[in-house]
Amino acid sequence: MISLFILVPLTSVILLNLFKGSLINKIACWFGMLLTLVQIYLIVFPVTCFWDNLSNPLGNYFILNLSADTLSKVMLLMIGIVTFISLMIGQYTYHEETQKFNFANLIILALSGMNGIVLVTDIFSLYVFIEVVAVASFILICLYKDKAGFESAFKYIILSIAATVFMLLSIVLLFLISGDTTFTAINIASKNPTYGFILVVAIGLFTCGAFTKGGLVPFHSWLPDAHSSAPTSISILLSGIVIKVSGLYPLIRLLTMTGGGNESIKNILLIVGTVSILVGALAALGQNDIKRMLAFSSVSQMGYIVLSLGTGTMLGLVGAVFHMFNHSVFKSQLFANSAAVEKQTGTRDMNKLGGIAQKMPFTGTTSIIGMLSICGIPPLAGFWSKLIIVIALWQTAHYGYAFVAVIASVITLAYFLSLQRRVFFGKIASGLENIKEAKAGLIIPVVILAAVTILVGIFFPFIMEKLIMPVGDILK
Amino acid sequence: MSNEILLFCIVFVPVLGSFVLPVIGTFSEKARNLLALLLVAVSLIFSVKLLPIIISGQSITINYPLLMSIDFVLHADMLAIFMAIASSLVGAIIVLYSFGYISHYENRNEYYFMVVLFLGSMMGLIFSGNLIFLFLFWEITSIASWRLIGFFREKAFVLRADKAFLITVFGALIMLIGFVMLYTQTGSFNLLDIKNNLQNNPVSNIVVMLILFGILSKSATLPFHTWLPDAGVAPSPVTALLHAAVLVKIGVYVFARLFISTMTLDVVWHTVVPVIAGASMLVSGAAALKETDLKRIIAYSTISQIGFIFLGLATGNEIGIAGGLLYILMHGLAKGGLFLCAGIVEQNTHTKDITKMGGLGKVMPITLLAFLFCSFSVMGIPPFGGFFSKYLVITGAINNGQMAIAFTFLAGAVLTVLYLLRVISIVFFGELKMSSIKEGSATMLFSVAFLGILSLLGGIFIKYPADVVVSTVQQMMGIIK
Repeated sequence: MISLFILVPLTSVILLNLFKGSLINKIACWFGMLLTLVQIYLIVFPVTCFWDNLSNPLGNYFILNLSADTLSKVMLLMIGIVTFISLMIGQYTYHEETQKFNFANLIILALSGMNGIVLVTDIFSLYVFIEVVAVASFILICLYKDKAGFESAFKYIILSIAATVFMLLSIVLLFLISGDTTFTAINIASKNPTYGFILVVAIGLFTCGAFTKGGLVPFHSWLPDAHSSAPTSISILLSGIVIKVSGLYPLIRLLTMTGGGNESIKNILLIVGTVSILVGALAALGQNDIKRMLAFSSVSQMGYIVLSLGTGTMLGLVGAVFHMFNHSVFKSQLFANSAAVEKQTGTRDMNKLGGIAQKMPFTGTTSIIGMLSICGIPPLAGFWSKLIIVIALWQTAHYGYAFVAVIASVITLAYFLSLQRRVFFGKIASGLENIKEAKAGLIIPVVILAAVTILVGIFFPFIMEKLIMPVGDILK
Repeated sequence: MSNEILLFCIVFVPVLGSFVLPVIGTFSEKARNLLALLLVAVSLIFSVKLLPIIISGQSITINYPLLMSIDFVLHADMLAIFMAIASSLVGAIIVLYSFGYISHYENRNEYYFMVVLFLGSMMGLIFSGNLIFLFLFWEITSIASWRLIGFFREKAFVLRADKAFLITVFGALIMLIGFVMLYTQTGSFNLLDIKNNLQNNPVSNIVVMLILFGILSKSATLPFHTWLPDAGVAPSPVTALLHAAVLVKIGVYVFARLFISTMTLDVVWHTVVPVIAGASMLVSGAAALKETDLKRIIAYSTISQIGFIFLGLATGNEIGIAGGLLYILMHGLAKGGLFLCAGIVEQNTHTKDITKMGGLGKVMPITLLAFLFCSFSVMGIPPFGGFFSKYLVITGAINNGQMAIAFTFLAGAVLTVLYLLRVISIVFFGELKMSSIKEGSATMLFSVAFLGILSLLGGIFIKYPADVVVSTVQQMMGIIK
């Protein structure tokens, strides 16, 4: 029945458009939230008969081999959480009714696509769903129809096409050696030593595509533009989940099914990861726009995930997935904080802000929690995932990379402290004396996400054992 | 209550209780203040209650295994209980003093929240038997001190808070790499397992070096000392908390915990650490002679006195270590008193510049007396507590045959006398330059007088703290043997 994860959102997009009207316009966002809540519920409280592949009445009509292993479940949970938050913020920040309706439609379409990406079992379908998500995101980025939006959407389209060309080429090569596009066929073919060279080329090409989609250096240039000029609800979706599901998840799948390639592939991952961490962090240091800073910070954190994958060990994989999960939570929260700041003060320029934590206590406090988590300060969630990444690097004797990962945390702390100082902490800036805390529509999502960050941090052993560690099983 | 529950309460009553304080503060200021004091007092009283059990040779351990050897371990031995009493004692007095000092500033809820959280996580750090939890509490103290240094919200102050946060986090993260390295070598983050797995082999020098980064940055020792004088922009009780009683002692405590009672150091460190400490002591002593800002002088003095503690602990012989530990207590009391006196002076004269002060002894007799008592202890004048500690520390160095180091530290002790006498004569004696200056409030005066008298009594009845310290050292060294 897991096909419902794809089919329900897909049919609801069609139905919503068929019965378009003022009532549907109003409930579209709420309906999307309901879908994501059901999705979260199904992961957190596993309903056995749902996950059972045998009882699939739709199997005869819907011919797609789907399977949900432990990694897919973690990804589904992340997709559910981030999409829910994005819809909540969107529900509150869009005022025009058609805009809100279009937004809800496209998000639900993207939801269907993302669920597809993490559930399919052959690489070509994976590619198709990546394109579904990409098309939805193109339009979402320029939903305000302003110049900056079109420009960055255009940039994203061009780089995205380049990425998919890489991926398609790679899929062709994989098809060539395995005669099929299913993960199992590729896995069997990858064990045949005669295909060694083609395999490495295929992995290399796919990796380039995944790096572009995931916004890693040197393919990152679309990301800061797209994330900062898109409406904040879309920034949350893009930074929180899209770059992970359409960039890093396919990479993890490919690496696990082909045994991780050879040493040079691992080195590429390590180097690209390290460079991304540093470039992202250093670029973030110089930003004055809150959302641009957060976008560069995403580049940097994606670097941590790729770096962790580069170790090629089970612990590295677990650390990468855990960091992905944590990043999706705290980055969504920080973007939501920026939405609250922008809504209440009318600007995102940090030089014009200052000391607003006094007037906006919830936004101020939760932003500190998000910041400390992303900088890897215990006892919050981000600390544990970074710790696992550092342990994984150290165990595989990548001492230099471990040092860079750790030192980059200090740079991360530096730019987030500068954000705190210029926006929240300190004396209130002139002209902002009369601002008020944002409405509940913007506060509830950030409080939920901050609570998740704290709880994951405190109940780290439990979360680790139940949710994250099982991900290592996909290597067996 | 069983001993395990007592131990658990020492750490988690203040840590969890601190989160309630801002909520209560919105209803009643008074209830919040009293609760804050109560939370800190719980740590102190329960620690004292555990003392006889620990002295009798038992140790109390709570061990709750989690995954990847990141186990939740609280372990109470002599060293931990001694440190806990020393810091919660000064902590409780500082909270009491805050009632008067902080009552007319904004953000009082955040203030008490952070102070109690700080003291609670200090207890957690002290009793932690696992490196990761030690690191966890270590970083919580950094967060709290970041908020507290930037308490007044001025732009320059927040910048300095950021600076302190960045330096200590930088050091801590390097230290974390050291921990991870230990983990890969010994297969565990648990101190007891590490000790058993190392089996008296000296731990590798690179690990010691990495961990020293964290220790030196937290204890504000050269070359990571610059954040401490800058942190003087915080409210005075906070600087007392940060500089004197608790925060800077974290580094020396972790040094004692890891490098004396858990691992054996390579011989070279018995020279390297005293040399670092000596350089730090001389540089900051000289800086204290030149400064004109009252709180910065005392802050530099802290850096230089931390040098003595490091020397004592790094000598590796019983006398030196005993002196170092004793000085943790005596310096905490005396330096806490000095900062709180500085707070009274600052609040009533509205300046920290000593060149604008003079003759304050006439109008502030109690503050003057407390300041004198505390300074005598820091200078090392018998029979004050500081004398015995410094004496033991330097004897320890001589026992090691390190004459040059011993003489350097003697010179440092003279330097201490010089800069403290300078402050006393400029601030309290001479002609009164200001008019209508009053004494501080009653709770503030009581706090400083109490600390001053404790500094004296600690010296006169040196037998009691010395007994505790001696059995602490015996337990620590016994573990090595």
